[in-house]
Amino acid sequence: MQSQGETAITNNVAEASTKGKRQGRRGWSYTLTSLLGLVPFLLFCLLFEVIPAIIIVQGSFTNNDTGAPTTDNYKHMFSQASNLHAFQTSISLSLVTALLGGVFGGLAAYGVYTLRTGPLRNLLVGFSSIAANFAGVPLAFAYVATLGITGYVTVLIHTLFHVNIYDLGFSLYTFWGLVIVYTYFQLPLMILLTLPALSALRPEWREAATNLGASTFTFWRKIGLPILLPSLIAAMMLLFANSFGAFATAYALAQGGINIVPILINFVVNGNVIIDYGLGNALSVGMIIILLVAVSIYTVMLRRVNTWQGR
Amino acid sequence: MSIGGTTSGISQRAVSDNLPARAGKPRGRRSFNTSKIMLILVMLYLLVPLGAALWFGLLDPTSFPRIFSDPDFSQTFFTSLELATASTILAVVLVTPTAYWVQLRIPQARPLMDVLTLIPFAMPAIILAVGLVQEFNGTVSPLINFLSLGLVPALNNLNIVNTPPLLVCAYVIISLPFVYRPIDNNLRAINTSVLTEAAYSLGSGWWRTFLTVILPNIMPGVISAALLTFSVVMGEFTIAQLFSIYTFPIFLNNVGQNDPHRAALLSILSFIITLICVLGIILFARRRGGSESTAEIGAAK
Repeated sequence: MQSQGETAITNNVAEASTKGKRQGRRGWSYTLTSLLGLVPFLLFCLLFEVIPAIIIVQGSFTNNDTGAPTTDNYKHMFSQASNLHAFQTSISLSLVTALLGGVFGGLAAYGVYTLRTGPLRNLLVGFSSIAANFAGVPLAFAYVATLGITGYVTVLIHTLFHVNIYDLGFSLYTFWGLVIVYTYFQLPLMILLTLPALSALRPEWREAATNLGASTFTFWRKIGLPILLPSLIAAMMLLFANSFGAFATAYALAQGGINIVPILINFVVNGNVIIDYGLGNALSVGMIIILLVAVSIYTVMLRRVNTWQGR
Repeated sequence: MSIGGTTSGISQRAVSDNLPARAGKPRGRRSFNTSKIMLILVMLYLLVPLGAALWFGLLDPTSFPRIFSDPDFSQTFFTSLELATASTILAVVLVTPTAYWVQLRIPQARPLMDVLTLIPFAMPAIILAVGLVQEFNGTVSPLINFLSLGLVPALNNLNIVNTPPLLVCAYVIISLPFVYRPIDNNLRAINTSVLTEAAYSLGSGWWRTFLTVILPNIMPGVISAALLTFSVVMGEFTIAQLFSIYTFPIFLNNVGQNDPHRAALLSILSFIITLICVLGIILFARRRGGSESTAEIGAAK
């Protein structure tokens, strides 16, 4: 807030001195040139971000062949069980990985946070950045090498315990296999998101609580977690959105065999069987709506954090 | 990849600052508790697939030389390098002056910028790709022609659908959150208005101020943004696949369908590329002073 006031004041002064207008009043030409400076960026976003969104929404209500407005695409989407199943799988996959990543990543983040600042901590944070970025095609093949049929861990378990997990019904190319793979990049992402938020916990509160006789558990239950909860929820919403929109990892693993919404959209729009842009648009609108819910919760939580911990 | 972007932007903040340690614990107590155990478990979980990929790739001794003898490898690698460089340059050149302009002249536009850079979270790569393909494949409605101020039909005449330039623009959009956020944080951390004032009072114009005064001061943010964009584009698969442009991740996917051993080694190579980018951020984007951490935490994520 303060810097905005500063900027406004200094802008006014600069304005008055350079344009010779009455001191303290910005002219319309000032505002016009201000907006003009934004034009390249706004134009770029309009062309490549806003208009595709409009096209998708509009296209979802358009008939593929005739171009006439219709709700057939949505009827098609809701009538086929495989489409609904894709949404269900996507949502549960994203929720499960967001929770797993959130809980374990949050605990690990606290572990990193309580380390002394130094090379070890920087190493861990740097490694988390790399691991969070490792998602996509390379991660899929790294996991084929780990938990695939001839993967390192599969062979290890077979040698040590004489049991073949694939015989027991496990497969990397199913829902739970995908959970394991997705958790790989959700964990470091949670660590990276939570580390700044943990600085909201002042040590004085911990000391005061201990002074009044609180155990560690009581501290976390009554003080720590309530303070951190908005940040944690915001982080988990980001994890959810991350997982929900992921395409490359699942595609590289099963080439379209796993039925989640991004794979379905790709199949319908880019596949070898049928090209149905209307259905693809409808599915995309479904995805956008779900993601908007996640992003809104994220924004609301962030606003709470800034209100109560605002600087 | 559609997800890489999200992670990159967040990673730069944690990587490039020194957070205060030991808050929330009584001073003097170093206990080996649940969070440390969880940290060790998580780190193991992250390291095992990397080790397994290395082991798996080297199982077949011929895979390593065969990588380099494959002509597609160098072709796609350089394609990806070119795309990454172009996207990085375009992203930085587009966003940095804009962020400075917003900070300086129209802070009221900040919510608009926040929304525009938050849209890629609600429109992941696959959806963006679907929208772009429909936008530029030549058949658009009059509504779009009007809304885009006539630019979409003009670009359609240039026949840019499924071409590398369009891919570069798509990559810039995908990496927008991670380019805008570090640069904006950095601009807020330094006293932009005072610096600009001082430069103006000494007779410097807008561009000269921007290039010689502001830019060197926000270099850490710019470098973070650039390296994040670079690493995202090097690993991006979704949009390239929909545009049918043969980039390195697509090559990696094709190899993996036939030869998982070679693919495992190429995955390690991908990891090393990201490693170099993150090392670059750590080394060159370290900002001096402790004020930036408060600015980061205070600023909206």
